[in-house]
Amino acid sequence: MSNPLIHIEHIARTYEMGGETVHALRDVSLDIFPNEYVALMGPSGSGKSTLMNILGCLDTPSSGVYTFKGLDVNEMTDDDLAEIRNKEIGFVFQTFNLLPRATALKNIELPLIYSGISSEDRKERAIKALEDVGLGDRMLHRPNELSGGQRQRVAVARALVTKPSIILADEPTGNLDTKTGIEIMKLFQELWSKGNTVILVTHEEDIARHARRIIRIRDGKVESDTINPNPVTSFEIP
Amino acid sequence: MNILESIIQALQSIKANTLRTVLTLLSISIGIFAIIGAGTAVSTLEGSFNTQLVAMGQNTFMIKRTPSVNFGNSWRKYRNRKDITYQQAKEFKYQMEGISLVSLHNETDGYTAKRNNFFTDPVVTLIGADENFFVVKNFVIETGRAFGMSEVTSSAPVVIIGNDLVVQLFNGENPIGQFITLKNQQFQVIGTLKSQGSMFGRSLDAQAVIPLTVFSRYHSDEWTSSVEITTKAYSKEQLAEAVDESIGMMRSLRNLKPWEDNTFEVETNESVSSQFASFSNYLQVFGLGSGLISLLAAGVGIMNIMLVSVKERTKEIGIRKAIGAKRKWILFQFIIEAITLCQLGGLIGIFFGVLAGQGLGALINTEAAIPVNWVIFSIVICTLMGLAFGSYPAWKAASLDPIEALRYE
Ligand SMILES: Nc1ncnc2c1ncn2[C@@H]1O[C@H](COP(=O)(O)OP(=O)(O)O)[C@@H](O)[C@H]1O
Ligand SMILES: [Mg+2]
Repeated sequence: MSNPLIHIEHIARTYEMGGETVHALRDVSLDIFPNEYVALMGPSGSGKSTLMNILGCLDTPSSGVYTFKGLDVNEMTDDDLAEIRNKEIGFVFQTFNLLPRATALKNIELPLIYSGISSEDRKERAIKALEDVGLGDRMLHRPNELSGGQRQRVAVARALVTKPSIILADEPTGNLDTKTGIEIMKLFQELWSKGNTVILVTHEEDIARHARRIIRIRDGKVESDTINPNPVTSFEIP
Repeated sequence: MNILESIIQALQSIKANTLRTVLTLLSISIGIFAIIGAGTAVSTLEGSFNTQLVAMGQNTFMIKRTPSVNFGNSWRKYRNRKDITYQQAKEFKYQMEGISLVSLHNETDGYTAKRNNFFTDPVVTLIGADENFFVVKNFVIETGRAFGMSEVTSSAPVVIIGNDLVVQLFNGENPIGQFITLKNQQFQVIGTLKSQGSMFGRSLDAQAVIPLTVFSRYHSDEWTSSVEITTKAYSKEQLAEAVDESIGMMRSLRNLKPWEDNTFEVETNESVSSQFASFSNYLQVFGLGSGLISLLAAGVGIMNIMLVSVKERTKEIGIRKAIGAKRKWILFQFIIEAITLCQLGGLIGIFFGVLAGQGLGALINTEAAIPVNWVIFSIVICTLMGLAFGSYPAWKAASLDPIEALRYE
């Protein structure tokens, strides 16, 4: 097997809240390899988002080892982490997190601006990414002129446009109805089959069934880590 | 880096906090207005003043009781000086004969000239002069003639009038030989002066020149009893020598001991200019000082607006960081925003400052200068202000924790 993309060992994350210590994560170890399709499952408050933020270099663990593509993340400065987020990681959030005043196209161009791509290249790549998610005709719309499903597609396009090593999606269908949720899941399926690595946080079994590997978290610990024997690959709209 | 996006963002944040932003921009505008306004005023006055100095003629200098331009508290120093009396001045003129041409004169303001049913405005300057006055002071006779020495010694009631009097009293008639009244005294018009235009908004044609002897007897009071002496050296080379000679002569005429200071002023073109320069510096420093104070207040306002803007856009900052914005990008964005706000206020201030300067120019009938160096200075100051007062909010934005910022609602 190839080298892991992500390797974490005995990771813990605690928060201090009003003099009390909250253990969001206690002793998590994982390896994630290229072109895996992983679902992180668990009840609300179990630490899924905390783990996701650490994997995405938005947050750093209180203790433990994290190496990304063989590099020690704990050694990195804030700007190094920003660079990793920009070049290697594509985030998709439950609440979309688009810039409200910018058009779809501008939103997608933003990560390219931060990686210093020239403006013509930027535009070309952003248009391509929007077309790939089926929104070629919505380029100049602002988020409030788009439906929830369309906003999430813009967010997926923004995550993809920098050609990251890994896509991290934290409850990407949580704010969508079932039908649009399935459309987004279809998008992830396509990405994975084209060779992308996808990690998906969800607490819905229906969503998790699409993934090839399912990791269950409870109380900040890995409860189980199993291969999904029969992943869903058809996308009938119920 | 994307400057345009930051500028648009700045303009949008004006919409978001209209009142506070408008007040802050207003105080920037007032600050810049003070700087530019004073700058324009000074350039305009200087331009006008220099034109007049050139017209005043070469190689002349004046001896008078007090300096022509004075400001601040310096009048205290001069108020106890004794008058230069007509006798002293006459003696001076007599002794300077052959060395340089000397003219004596005195003047007073606010006269109304009358003829039959015609009146002038009460702004006529009455000048009492000797026969050399016209040559030494460059007063050109347009029609008729000047008065001579005999008319001065015999106190002849004759007058040479400026163009304003010709227009207001004679209505197209030939004034030569006619009579006019100045403060209940009749004078016969023997000549008219060539028009001289205006200086600092005052017409130079509202003048009437009568023999100094008549002036001293009937028209001088305790404020205007000191005679002014104007001396014209025969050449540029002789000017310095003539000045030295004059000082020595005046000192002995006024019985000054060697250790005493001069009790009179000697003014050459240069010394008047330098007095004027110190006056205009005073105006400039005043404008600059009050402008900077106002800008300081505005700076605090800018900082406040930017802090509010950072707070309101915490989520946006979180998003930008999540997709890979480094510190410098966030810093840059907010500093550009602050600079844009400052520049906007500054431009408004420059616009009204220049407009006010033009207004002043129109008021005093001179071409107003646009003080290019002060405009550039203002733009630089606004940029520095944006930098100085935008840095802290920008630093705060750049230091936000991405997760905390993303969670902010
Ligand atoms: N910034 C924070 N400060 C304090 N407690 C936090 C913070 N973030 C998460 N937690 C706590 O950590 C635990 C795990 O949270 P989270 O990772 O968001 O769970 P999940 O995404 O699985 O619902 C929860 O108990 C939550 O309250
Ligand atoms: Mg969560």
